[in-house]
Amino acid sequence: MNIFLHELRANRKSLLIWSVIATLLVLMAMSKFSAFAGDPQMLAIMDSMPPAMLDALNMRAFNLTTLSGFFGVMFIYFGLIGAIAAAMWGSDTIAKEERNKTVEFSLVLPVSRSRIITAKALAALVNCVALVLITWGMSLLAVRSFNPDAAFYRFLRLEMAAMLAIELIFLAVGLLLGCAMKRYKRVGSAAVAIILISYFLSIASSMQQKLDFLKFFTPFRYFDAGELFRTGRLDSGYLLLSVGLVVVCLAAAYWSYNKRDLMI
Amino acid sequence: MSVIQVRNLTKYYGKARGIVDVSFDVAEGEIFGFIGPNGAGKSTTIRLLLSLIHPSSGSMTLFGQDVAAHGPAIRRQIGYLPSEVYYYEGMKVRELLQYSAGFYPGDWRQRTAELADYMELDMGRRISDLSYGNKKKVGIVQGLLHSPRLLFLDEPTSGLDPLMQRKFFDLIRRENARGVTVFFSSHILGEVQRLCTRVGIIREGRMVEVSNIRTLQENNYKKIRLSAEGLSAATFDLPGVTNLQSDNGVLSFFFRGDINAVLRRLSELPINDVVIEEPTLEEIFMHYYE
Repeated sequence: MNIFLHELRANRKSLLIWSVIATLLVLMAMSKFSAFAGDPQMLAIMDSMPPAMLDALNMRAFNLTTLSGFFGVMFIYFGLIGAIAAAMWGSDTIAKEERNKTVEFSLVLPVSRSRIITAKALAALVNCVALVLITWGMSLLAVRSFNPDAAFYRFLRLEMAAMLAIELIFLAVGLLLGCAMKRYKRVGSAAVAIILISYFLSIASSMQQKLDFLKFFTPFRYFDAGELFRTGRLDSGYLLLSVGLVVVCLAAAYWSYNKRDLMI
Repeated sequence: MSVIQVRNLTKYYGKARGIVDVSFDVAEGEIFGFIGPNGAGKSTTIRLLLSLIHPSSGSMTLFGQDVAAHGPAIRRQIGYLPSEVYYYEGMKVRELLQYSAGFYPGDWRQRTAELADYMELDMGRRISDLSYGNKKKVGIVQGLLHSPRLLFLDEPTSGLDPLMQRKFFDLIRRENARGVTVFFSSHILGEVQRLCTRVGIIREGRMVEVSNIRTLQENNYKKIRLSAEGLSAATFDLPGVTNLQSDNGVLSFFFRGDINAVLRRLSELPINDVVIEEPTLEEIFMHYYE
């Protein structure tokens, strides 16, 4: 409990920063949307763009002049913000003890390494949930003036659930990096690299039919905004895959952290 | 009962040598000195005993329990003062100590306050504002506040001024009188001699000697350097003199035995200058084990 509360406190500032980023994203998007909203000329412009480019930005599936369509295109940004924040929280919560040389204090306390990971992971989880709630709340506030219908609210809820799922995957990946990597200075860059690679894989796999199989390697495609919009639910196959990924990462994280030497 | 039991403990960091085949015992209530030059493997040994790193081979028990299997239970009874103290920078000293105390069953507020008072530590200050010496004081209080039965001290006096060093030694002696076992690692022979009953000497990762401090003192060498008129190496051809070197009218040698024999010989000479000092640990090592 001690470690959990301490971590929550230590994470406050970072949560604040990410919340501001998410809020700015929503506000900027909404000011853009007011230009698109209900403007048929926009549709004409979109139609004249090369289809591959629209695919890359996931713009073909959506009608950008509607709020739901606009939020569909926005989803990848929510996902990216959630992924980066979660991976950072997950990896840094472990790696910082070695970076700041506090391991000699914190790991000589009478707690097992597994309990330390659990407490830190839960604190990071609280941050992840909070970031989703804040993004959600800000979105609800920002769209009020457009009087959205019930379908939009359902879609937004679905997107936020998907954002949380992406966060959880990258939280687990981040934890694994922090726990397994001896070279704690590289943990942050490794996390960013994995996210960028996943992102580009998701773009590549949606642009090229031949590369479609790549979608299994990138969590950003597990929850495709277009699919969410069409089906109105999270794909249970991908959901299962996500759970598997999280479980594997966590198990590897606990195993490697218990086994390895701490860098002092 | 052996509080610490180490058998054939070996640690390699990849190919780099940590310690090799180290074995020793520390009895309950003992102050065990662990001396050796920098890089000899002192901190490695302590970190192995604290499960911060894992051995390549060999075994170790604390309080008769396997270190790897019973880590948290064992560590409840252990206090550790690392050679360099790092804490969460944003915290105040009081918060840090409360945080630490929270991991040990019991109420340690009074003892924490007493220890901080004794070490003249201001608990209202922020960790990041503290000097090296003051951080060390936090380390001392934090390592002792839960009344551990076994204390690991790794180069504990660095950063403390002489007055504080003395207070600290008194504190350790007091704890020891209550039955606390102390594992005291240092490269300063003098402070180990002041405090310890038994010492282990580690060199290049290997335990070269475990003996009573008294035996070591009897074997103690003096390093003597003098310059005088008409000096020749033959003047000090005494039993107990080794490593005799003559260089430009300056004579230097190590001496082991009754120092009066040397002093008598010195008094017969027209001395320009004389230095009699403790050899450094390195010199003892080089000499002792030739």
